[in-house]
Order: sequence, then C-alpha cells, then structure tokens
Amino acid sequence: MRPVFAFLLLGLLCACQLNNANVNPESEDDIDNDFAEFDDDFVEASYDNSATAENADSSKGLGGSVVSKEKVDAPVKRTVDNDDDDDGLVENDDEFEHFQDEEEFEGYDAGDTMEPPIDQKTEPKLKIPNIPLHFRTHWDSYWMEMIMVAGLLAYFANFFAGKAKNARLAQLWFSTHKALLDENFALVGDDGKVENENPGLIKESESLYTLWCSGRTCCEGMLVELKMIKRQDLVSLVAGLMRPQLDQAHIKIELSRGLMDTFVFAVGSKKTITKVFKEYTDLTKFCSLVAKPEERYNVPSGFGVLSEIPEATSAILESRVITALNKYQSYIDYLHISDQFSGQVQQEEGSTLKQPETKAVLLAGFNLPKHAEMETIKPLLLLIFYLMERLKTYRMSKEGKSKADKNRLRVEEEFLKSTHAARAEAAAQRREDKRKQEKERVLAEDDPEKQRRWELKEQKRQAKKNAPKMKRLAVKSL
Amino acid sequence: MSITVDPRRKEKIIRYKAPKNQGQSGGANEDMMPDYMNILGMIFSMCGLMMKLKWCAWFALYCSCISFSSSRASDDAKQVLSSFMLSVSAVVMSYLQNPAAMTPPWAS
Repeated sequence: MRPVFAFLLLGLLCACQLNNANVNPESEDDIDNDFAEFDDDFVEASYDNSATAENADSSKGLGGSVVSKEKVDAPVKRTVDNDDDDDGLVENDDEFEHFQDEEEFEGYDAGDTMEPPIDQKTEPKLKIPNIPLHFRTHWDSYWMEMIMVAGLLAYFANFFAGKAKNARLAQLWFSTHKALLDENFALVGDDGKVENENPGLIKESESLYTLWCSGRTCCEGMLVELKMIKRQDLVSLVAGLMRPQLDQAHIKIELSRGLMDTFVFAVGSKKTITKVFKEYTDLTKFCSLVAKPEERYNVPSGFGVLSEIPEATSAILESRVITALNKYQSYIDYLHISDQFSGQVQQEEGSTLKQPETKAVLLAGFNLPKHAEMETIKPLLLLIFYLMERLKTYRMSKEGKSKADKNRLRVEEEFLKSTHAARAEAAAQRREDKRKQEKERVLAEDDPEKQRRWELKEQKRQAKKNAPKMKRLAVKSL
Repeated sequence: MSITVDPRRKEKIIRYKAPKNQGQSGGANEDMMPDYMNILGMIFSMCGLMMKLKWCAWFALYCSCISFSSSRASDDAKQVLSSFMLSVSAVVMSYLQNPAAMTPPWAS
C-alpha cells in the first residue's frame, strides 16, 4: 500500500508544479528576472504578430506609422510565401527574404525610422529597460581593482628603491672595511669560479650579500654575510614597523685545526643568547647559561653569557674585550667561540648514525649603524682579529683541559647510547648482506663439492642460531 | 689591538665554496619566505581560477611579487616566472569570464 500511496503523492506534487508553471509564469519572472520584459516581447512576438506590431508602436511612440505599416504588411507576404513553398517553386524563394521577415529582426529597423521626426508637442515616452548591474561600465565601480593596481605599482616602485638602497649600504660597508681586510687577507672577495671574475661582494639576494676572505694565519677563511632589512619587499617593511629589525653583519671564521683550546663559549644580547642556546648543537650540549654575568664577568647589563669552562670564559672576557663590549654594546649582537661547532640542532636525530663533523669556529653578529656611519663599527672587525690572536695564544690549565675532555667524552657517550639500537640494526643488515653475497658467489661456482660444503656449514650455523641458549655448567669432577 | 706582523699567507688561500645545504630547509640562515609565497600564490591562483574569486587572483599576483622580490640569485628563475604567469592568467581569466567589478570577500 505504501509505495502506491507514495506514487500518488508524487504524482499530485508534479501536477501541482505543472499547474503553477502554466498558470503563473509571469509572476515569477516579474520578481527576479531582469530580462522579464524582453521575454514578454518575445512571447508576444512569436505568437501574435499583430500584437507585436502594436507593441512596437506603443513603445516607440513617434514615427511609428511607417513601422506599423511595414509590420502589418509582413504577415500577409509570408502567407503567400508559404503557399509557394507548398508548390515547390524554388525560384520564387528569395534568398534575402528573411530580411523582410520581421521576426528575424525584431525592432531592428525601428531605430532608424524613429529618429528623424521630433515632435515638440508630445513628450517622447522613453522606456528604460532594467539592465543588469554588470552591464553598466562605471569606472568608479572598479575602485578595488584600482587599489590593487596602485598597490602593485607602489610595490614595484619600492622594490627598485629598496634594492638600490641595500646595494648602496652593502657597498659602503665593503669600501669602509676594504683596506683593513686587504691588510689581513691575501684573498678578499671570491665568487667561487675558477677565474675569480668578480672579486668583491656577492649578491645572494636583494637583501643578502656575502664576502669570502682567505689566506691568513690562524684561519682557513672568513665569510661575511651582510643581512640587510628586506627593503625591496614592501610587506616586510610594513611587518618591520611592528617588529623593528636592523641591518646585520654575520661573520663566520673557520679556525685552523688545533689552533684553539677545547672549549665552547658565547656572549651576546640576552635575547639572541637565549635563541642560539636552543638552536646550536654545541651550545646546547656543552654550555650552561651563566647566572648574573654582570657581576661575574663584568659584561654590560643586557648581555648574557653561555660558558662551558669558567676559566676559559674569564680568559676571553678580559678587560680589553669588556671595554669593547661596553663601548659597542648596541652594535654587538653575539660572539660565539667553539671547537665543536656542528651547526643547528638536527630535528631527526635517529636517522644519523655518525656523529656530526665538528669545526673550530669564531662566529660574530654585529648590528650595522642606522645612519650608514660605517666607520663607527670598523673597530669591531679589529676586535675579531684580536680575538683570533688571543685564541691562538691562550692555553687552558690542566684542570680545565681534563674537564673539557670529560665533557666531550660524555657527549660522545650520550650520542652512542641514543643511536645504539639504530646502529645494531644497521650492523645486522650489513651482516645479512654479506652472507647473501657469499651465497651468490658459492652458487655461481661450478664445483658441487664446494657448494655442498658451504650448505653444510650454513645449516650448522642456522642450527646453532636457532638452538635454545643454555648455560654451560662446569661440573666439578670428583 | 694592533697587529705588528703581517698576518697574510698566500699559501693558505682556500677558495670559496657555496654552502651545500642551500635551498634545503633547516639551513642556518635560510629564508623560507620565497617558497612559502610561491605555494601560497599557487593556491590563490587555483582558487581564483576554479572558484572565480577575483580577490584570490589578485592576492596570487601579490604573492608572486613577494616571492620574486625575496628570491635568491641562485634560485631557479623558472619557478618564479611560472608562478607569475599562473597568477596573471588567473586575473585575466576571471575578468574575461565576468568583467564585472570585484566584490570583496567580506561583501557577499
């Protein structure tokens, strides 16, 4: 019973829908169809020609007499044509007949004919149809596009200006320090090509310039990275308003092997120190944050110290360095000296089975002065050279040395422990591979005797492996 | 702090080697901005093209601009160019399909 009832209900609904559609097509159109009037015209025109003529007449008002005449004639002509068609007289069928067909060009010729006579007495009745919104081309509706295009233009204008400023600042830094660098390094500026085509700063990006110097005692080379504010990027500039940034120079010196004693040390602004303490492996593993460094090492307030061996720290932070730190406090971001530098902390520690390679380095970060007075920070480079010489001459006491060695051993043991499982797995894999190779080699040989012997050996080995492990008890002979 | 002896050593010159981990994530001073902007630009372009959202297409254009301005000299220029082309085509296509003025996302 149920399906029948459902079908009946469905049928009833359909009937209702159809009824609605037939009875009330106009009411719907009037509500939300922009083309309602065009549709009306179309309906009238296609079903009632005389009505169309009237409609055109009424809508055009003036000069309608000619049009109406033509339009009244048109249906008559067509009936004749239709008769001809029935007789199959093709020659009478005019090719351009459809020009006469008023249905083809509904209201087309009306425009031409309605223009000339202007009647002053009766005001022309203008009928303005509802044109959908997007057909009106008002330029002021495109205000958002204009803003977008203006934004793009501003962005590119800023790009060229910022790029030029960064290049100028970097060049200024280089020209200020060139004499000093030339005095200290045999090679200043290297682009890494076989023929050094471009000795000088290398542009890594619009806001990053690098300079490689080499050929000096104590070190393998020095890499200077000038990290500018991203002046070429308008978005970064706006972001910089919230969180001010500074132009920075990062110096990385790779020290010669065995030049410095074994210790890790860092000093710098508190913010940077807390950041690098988490970031760099050597600082995380060897150092601890010194409490109250102002009292202990006399560093200016606002500075933090990370130290492994206290005596080495105090030897580095001697009076001359402290004076420099005090004098150039706003320009010094950090100083980092380490014999165990291995870069940033690796996220996936389990995957590395070998301990990362370590290097002895001297890292420094300086803020560049705001008003491009590069001369003010020139002594900072001298400080770096001084520190290098100091590291060369400084030697720790026996206690310090043994403590440092103990620390390195501890870190190594920790590493081995953490990777024990992974290393055991790798060793098992290697053994398995070796056995497979040996099997292949034996099978490839022609000698069956040898093969049998090998199989016997293998079986024995497997049996031994699978056999339950028992403790062998020594039985005392009585 | 003056150094009396000439510290220069010609025999110790080591030529510059560009860092190997360039372009990979996790580098010491790696700037990931261009990559992020590239991806964001691509997503916006796709949204602009598929969903006919004009503001998305415009945003994509901005993203590719940022990506271009902060890209490294050693980066692949093709990637930046393709991102640009995609975002421009998103803008052009959305206006060809519908020449109406843009409606901002907050005015539905």
